[in-house]
Amino acid sequence: MNPMLSRLAAVVALSCAYIYMVYGQSLDTDTVPSRYRVVATTFGAGRQKVLDTYLTPLQYAGPEVSVARETMRFTRFNKDLSVQNFFRIYAAMPGKNGYDIYSGLVNWNYGMHYQFQLRYNLKLLVGGLGDLNAGFVYNPRNSNNPASAKAFVDLDASAMLIYRFKLGRCHLTARYQANLPVMGVMFSPDYGSSYYEMFYLGYRDNTVKFTSLHNHLSLRQMVTLDFPCRRVTFRAGYYWEIQQSHVNNLKTHTYSHSFMLGFVRNLRLFRDKHGRQLPSGVNPF
Amino acid sequence: MKTRIAYLLAVAALAFAAISISSCVKEDEFDNTPEGNFELLWKIIDEHYCFFEYKDIDWNEVHDRYARRITPEMPSKALFEVLGEMLAELKDGHVNLYAAHDVAAYRKWYEDYPSNFNDSIARLYLGKTGDYMTAAGIQYKAFADNIGYIRYASFSDGIGDGNLNEVLSSLAICDGLIIDVRDNGGGSLDNAQRLAARFTDKRVMTGYIMHKTGPGHNEFSEPQPVWLEPSQHIRWQKPVVVLTNRHSYSATNEFVNMMRLLPGVTIMGDKTGGGSGLPFSAELLNSWSVRFSASPVLDVARQHIEWGIDPDIRVDMTAEDIRANRDTMIEAARELLRQGGV
Repeated sequence: MNPMLSRLAAVVALSCAYIYMVYGQSLDTDTVPSRYRVVATTFGAGRQKVLDTYLTPLQYAGPEVSVARETMRFTRFNKDLSVQNFFRIYAAMPGKNGYDIYSGLVNWNYGMHYQFQLRYNLKLLVGGLGDLNAGFVYNPRNSNNPASAKAFVDLDASAMLIYRFKLGRCHLTARYQANLPVMGVMFSPDYGSSYYEMFYLGYRDNTVKFTSLHNHLSLRQMVTLDFPCRRVTFRAGYYWEIQQSHVNNLKTHTYSHSFMLGFVRNLRLFRDKHGRQLPSGVNPF
Repeated sequence: MKTRIAYLLAVAALAFAAISISSCVKEDEFDNTPEGNFELLWKIIDEHYCFFEYKDIDWNEVHDRYARRITPEMPSKALFEVLGEMLAELKDGHVNLYAAHDVAAYRKWYEDYPSNFNDSIARLYLGKTGDYMTAAGIQYKAFADNIGYIRYASFSDGIGDGNLNEVLSSLAICDGLIIDVRDNGGGSLDNAQRLAARFTDKRVMTGYIMHKTGPGHNEFSEPQPVWLEPSQHIRWQKPVVVLTNRHSYSATNEFVNMMRLLPGVTIMGDKTGGGSGLPFSAELLNSWSVRFSASPVLDVARQHIEWGIDPDIRVDMTAEDIRANRDTMIEAARELLRQGGV
């Protein structure tokens, strides 16, 4: 394995281990802020443009549907440090001239932000995320290059602005977030390598590549507005994803615009220290 | 102090966001016009086709010659005809242009040669329903002189290990086996390898595969060996004759390339049609799609087999035999196997 890739893999593994350790401990925490979680589930619909020159040199455009789940909480060891857990999955059917291709991606971001309180109602969050992705683009009309598998892991720089305000009697929360992959590892077929060669014969040289801003300049942005309606807090949002790569002389991009709508729940976790059962009135089991 | 840092970070984040938005990874764009589709097709082939050097084709000269025939107002079918002619310059059966009304293909690799296969006569050898059996894509029987006969008409028709076990068990009493892959235009390499794996007891290197690593005509990966692993199921141990003609193409060409290296196997008939480049596909702006050779397979001497493989024993169908409903090649194979083969 390339020494640089080895070092990168070690950094990613240690980061993940650390994050997991922190996450695991937080379940046992007694620190009050870390017991609270803001959990949002949103459903999105939008439009996607896809280019993958492994499949064909054309850009396809078409509808996209998605679902996302996000959890935010404070860490137990620093009151200014928050954890974001963001999971999104999309499926799209971009087409051209009546012919469709299919694409899908599972994306998981997990990381921390340091929170700066700029004003009493304005916060800037700056931090880093682990960014795991797995997906595909499939063209059913192709022969030995029918699909392009997507698999990449990035370390993202992330920034978020959160603004709380009041409209009439409603308390609203607006948020803008941008995640920029800084470095990572990506699977990419070689320029003309067939899946027969890669997966039947097992020759996969040059298919795992180091990526950074020079060959994988991408950006995920999100604007959301949380607003109460009766006893439920809804979330409306706009998700703009730019995923690009120029690896192995192959060019790819996915430009996705999606409007999201969902709901937000504020949860409070507690720990059962003494093994006592929940009161029957709140115990679902 | 914290606030200043925060503002600086915010500015940096916005700068990165602006850079990302403005630095798009894009491919050259063409208009959906006759000129645009011509240029796009020419570029796809220019950057991905794998036999320019081997076939000594000056693709730039081809561009200039055919560009003169493209006009903005030309009808779609006329454009299709010109583009089909341009692709025929590659002399490659794996290069096709697909439109709703037609498929442009280069067929001289078999049309310019004797057919050496008559389906009606071959059917006489199989007999009527009940005289032969069918296992997935294979038809088979034992001739009266105790020679087994397998007809595999297309490697696109799947064949499983269970099917092959039944076929070889059924023919196990035969003194020799004929595998007739004439007019088999190819299909799945998996099926070709699965069948060939029944005729070797050892792991055999059958050739090399390589692929393009960039758009240049000479940008290729290092050739990697292709191995044929012996099947873990029933393996044939007696003499074999593989019957070929000019229409034995693509995966069938590779099947013959593997079989000719195996002990007890004789390749008989006409030269195969070739077709050693694994085909890739791409699409044009007007929804036509193009298929082209992208990844060459070489033989054990690292030589191209794009133009076909010569048989060990050359046999042609004779007009006299055809008139008498006799298949010259099957008869020659039976005679060879009756004498012990090879």
